[in-house]
Amino acid sequence: MPGIATTDHAEILRRPGRGGLRAALLRWTFIALALTFLGGLLFAPLAVIFGTALGRGLPQAVAIFADTDTRAAVQLTLLVAVIVVPLNTLFGIAAAWAIAKFEFAGKSLLITIIDLPFAVSPVISGLVYVLLFGAQGVFGQWLIERDIAIIFALPGIVMATMFVTFPYVARELIPLMQQLGNDEEEAAITLGAGGLMTFVRVTLPKVKWGLVYGIILCNARAMGEFGAVSVVSGHIRGLTNTMPLHIEILYNEYDFVGAFAVASLLTLLALVTLVIKTVVEWRSGSRGS
Amino acid sequence: MAASGGWRQPSILPGFGLTLGFSTFFVSAIVLLPLGALVLRTASMSPADFFATVLAPRALASYRLTFGASLLAALLNAAGGFLIAWTLVRYEFPGRRLVDALIDLPFALPTAVSGIALTAVFAPDGWVGGWLAAQGVQVAYTWSGVVLALTLIGLPFVVRTVQPALVEVARDLEDAAETLGAKPFTIFRRIIFPAVLPALVTGFTLAFARGIGEYGSVIFIAGNLPMRTEITPLLIVIKLEEFDYSGAAALGFMMLLISFVMLLLINTVQAWSRRRLTVGR
Amino acid sequence: MSIVLDQVTKQYQGTPVVNDVSLDIAEGEFFVLLGPSGSGKSTLLRAIAGLTSVDHGRISLRGRDVTSLSAREREVGFVFQNYALFRHMTVAENIEFGLSVRRVRAAERAKRRRELLELIGLAGLDDRLPGQLSGGQQQRVAVARALAHEPRVLLLDEPFGALDAKIREELRRTIRRVQKELGITTILVTHDQEEAFAMGDRIGVMNLGRLLEAGRPTELYSRPATRFVATFLGAANLLLRRQALNGTALPPRGRAAPAPAPADGPRPREHEVVAVLRPEEVELAPSADAAVGHFLGRGHVEEIVFTGALERLRVRMPTEDAGQSIPGCIDCATTVLLDVTRTQAEQRAFPLRHGQAVAIAARRIHVLPTPLSSFTAFAAGEAAAVALARHPWLTALAAQMQTRIAARIEPSLDGTTAAGEPEAVVGVSVIGTGPGCADQVRWLLAHQAEEILCLSTRERAPARVVIYCATPAARRATLAVAASLLRHVPAEAVYVQILPPEEADGPTATAVRGLLDVRSEARDAHGLDVRTELRFAEPGEALLAELERDESGMLILGIDHDSGVTPELSALLDRPAAWPVLLV
Repeated sequence: MPGIATTDHAEILRRPGRGGLRAALLRWTFIALALTFLGGLLFAPLAVIFGTALGRGLPQAVAIFADTDTRAAVQLTLLVAVIVVPLNTLFGIAAAWAIAKFEFAGKSLLITIIDLPFAVSPVISGLVYVLLFGAQGVFGQWLIERDIAIIFALPGIVMATMFVTFPYVARELIPLMQQLGNDEEEAAITLGAGGLMTFVRVTLPKVKWGLVYGIILCNARAMGEFGAVSVVSGHIRGLTNTMPLHIEILYNEYDFVGAFAVASLLTLLALVTLVIKTVVEWRSGSRGS
Repeated sequence: MAASGGWRQPSILPGFGLTLGFSTFFVSAIVLLPLGALVLRTASMSPADFFATVLAPRALASYRLTFGASLLAALLNAAGGFLIAWTLVRYEFPGRRLVDALIDLPFALPTAVSGIALTAVFAPDGWVGGWLAAQGVQVAYTWSGVVLALTLIGLPFVVRTVQPALVEVARDLEDAAETLGAKPFTIFRRIIFPAVLPALVTGFTLAFARGIGEYGSVIFIAGNLPMRTEITPLLIVIKLEEFDYSGAAALGFMMLLISFVMLLLINTVQAWSRRRLTVGR
Repeated sequence: MSIVLDQVTKQYQGTPVVNDVSLDIAEGEFFVLLGPSGSGKSTLLRAIAGLTSVDHGRISLRGRDVTSLSAREREVGFVFQNYALFRHMTVAENIEFGLSVRRVRAAERAKRRRELLELIGLAGLDDRLPGQLSGGQQQRVAVARALAHEPRVLLLDEPFGALDAKIREELRRTIRRVQKELGITTILVTHDQEEAFAMGDRIGVMNLGRLLEAGRPTELYSRPATRFVATFLGAANLLLRRQALNGTALPPRGRAAPAPAPADGPRPREHEVVAVLRPEEVELAPSADAAVGHFLGRGHVEEIVFTGALERLRVRMPTEDAGQSIPGCIDCATTVLLDVTRTQAEQRAFPLRHGQAVAIAARRIHVLPTPLSSFTAFAAGEAAAVALARHPWLTALAAQMQTRIAARIEPSLDGTTAAGEPEAVVGVSVIGTGPGCADQVRWLLAHQAEEILCLSTRERAPARVVIYCATPAARRATLAVAASLLRHVPAEAVYVQILPPEEADGPTATAVRGLLDVRSEARDAHGLDVRTELRFAEPGEALLAELERDESGMLILGIDHDSGVTPELSALLDRPAAWPVLLV
């Protein structure tokens, strides 16, 4: 019998002989230090984003979205996300199934390659596509002859974003599916269920929260990617400018209100992502216990 | 399927061929082929050109900044992140859950947004920067600005690896140590810290690796002065803007090499910590 | 005394997980705390070690009050269920940890470590890491580590839980041997009664946060005082039996009554008791005359299971009162299923098959001292009687007590006239509170009811029980009933003494002494540890105030049965109250 709630660490402080002034002093020092560290690094920038955006009133901040270039940037960002996220979700599920459910040679190699985009600088993620499809790239001449634009156009942006975001779903699902084991799936198969049926009815309900988390992280990164997209986009206003790139342009033009107004939109997206993440963790946590 | 040689263990679950085939194709098209182009481009350079590019003074200065700042930021994060993880796990205080949720913000926030926000806070006319300027310290547009940006980016890595380790390891062993007569600080030094160390090292390495490749959040606050506050990824972008594809590829190749080494290091550290933590369960 | 607990209470989110536990453990004694999971035994052990604070009560170890000392200052050795070895340290470093934090010299540490490793049979494994040892070996190391700093007491929290049966057996022997050799006072927490029997000099049985009984294993097994102990320590059949109030058994039905003829004089006042009949004490015979033991009745075999050395049977038998039809009884069980075990010799002497009719006798029967036997819900109409008998808290309580609830319709209940001579009232009578309650109590008292439970409509179990005696004469019975009830209710209990307000300035020493007497009587005679409080007020008002303090109270009220329902009591009963009242 494990007694009462073993993960409640705060309980330790209520033990006999622990409630002294020194302990309280130490505790509040720690809390103060942690909050100061976070305050300067995290909370102040967060506040400054909304503060600057709304510095001249809400109408001023909203006005930036009336600008056609800004709207084009928002639309492009959404378009990229709509293409990239479903593809990467599909890939993530397929990769997780192959890796978590089967033992095969080369598995750890595959996992390492999936992790690769996490370790590679976003600039390199863009660079490789320029080397492949740019004017002096491997396929450059071939593409120019056929008048197909990849670099400095939508396909390049999509591919660079895909590169950067493709581990997210797989990375969430693989450990989860490995931990849950194969028993239930094998039971379903012996009961006569098909592969798709087994996945939808047996596996998916177990991993759905992990999947949701993977997808929202993938989406957040896809909409917010800067380095990789910056390299392949060409920064053509109204055409190949995504929201993060547009922020850079506005910022460099000293339109701080505009830059931070667009930034606060992306920040809201990030905050929503965190809320969903917290809810997902809470749901899966309460379900697990 | 089972007849397809000894390279996989038989299983009654379906979909192996389909999912592995699709994954492999996707990985090849999106990752391996483009990376291959980078290696190819670099290989087509003459060794003299290659070394002239990657060992140019400006390149060397950028490595120094990128590595130095990443290392410093990761160290700062190891200390600050441990403190934050400890506080979140051990102490009850108003707003704890909110702070806990916000730790992941640098993961979710676009790097460009972090970059301009940090710059605004730490610029000489910003909230914190103004106060620092009055003390004679300038952060924005110097190397310390780079460190700051990389600290923000790497923070969640340390906190999120240390936090579960603290939750999992402390209670039982701490009880045991206390009944054996150890004082709180002794318990921390001899029991908790050694048990959490592998997680801390993992978090440190992850933050360090992330810092090396970081671009978006740094370029706004760095000032980007050649030889002084120019990071390697920025140098690659500059080469690209000058249509020096080979130069960009060479530098990119160097960074890729470093990334591989870092990845290897992370895996080694994780394997080591797993071994240390799971034995005996 | 080596370990003394005095009214230790630990609450968790409002409910007591350890409830007024008092216990003395002698020097060198091996004490086992036994109980189901959630009974509070582990929490109590952690409180002794200082790993959990207590809300009330004192703990002393070897004459030193340690209640407010931290675990590190208590000098205890603690062994955890999951070993809790420091995985980054070798076996040697683990064992020496307690010594090194006390700055003992290295040579001395090494000497002590080698002694301990020798003692637990792991000599030579000094430099291994815990991960390289088996579960049993790890737990041995944990024991050695707990003993290294020569603690005053050794506390073992389910140390065998994670081990398989054979290793468990071995480790039990080792620990018992080491404990005897060192003569160290030890408390072992377990949920395994076999383990408790095998290891304990004494066993304390806990349930719902209370320490129900403590005693030698044989004592507890053969003469348990409570239903819980009777059924938790080994298998037991609980039977409701009628006795004459003077203690003699009534003639068993189904056999010609050789008992004193009831013709001359009034029928002896009947009284219901709870009897414990162990399965191995049941005797099955072809006929009543062939049985050696005390004849219980006839029945038939419903189930036979062969389990190797023993044969397990279930035999259905009519209940003792099945023969007579109680007028108005609508919910009375008429048969009871007995668990029986028989040895090979018994099986050979009297082979049985399924469905066979047998005579049932008891070789040994033990009557529990509990005054609460069964419940009978009384009402004037059928619907009301059934509703009372289905009351959620009452049914939960009856299930806890493993007893039955009958429902009886007494049309004359609301009036004061007793029509004819109704069947005797036995066990606890249950009625509803509210207007008319006092009249019903009057009727029941007139029919010699001993305990009357006035149930309110509240469905939750009480969290606070107030005990009050209106007359000193009722104290003994009231405490017995309170003790019996509180074993099944996880609530705080307070015994209040209420003195008239004008006595507040006078000498109160007598009253205080009286309260101390109450505590010791409750503890010694009934195994119940209660808190006591002294009030100065009008008793009626004070009781009302006490109970209205919170919605979840309950009152156990000792009254003078002969003087009947006083106006004061009648006022108390007739008001629609949220809390139940148990009259004794």
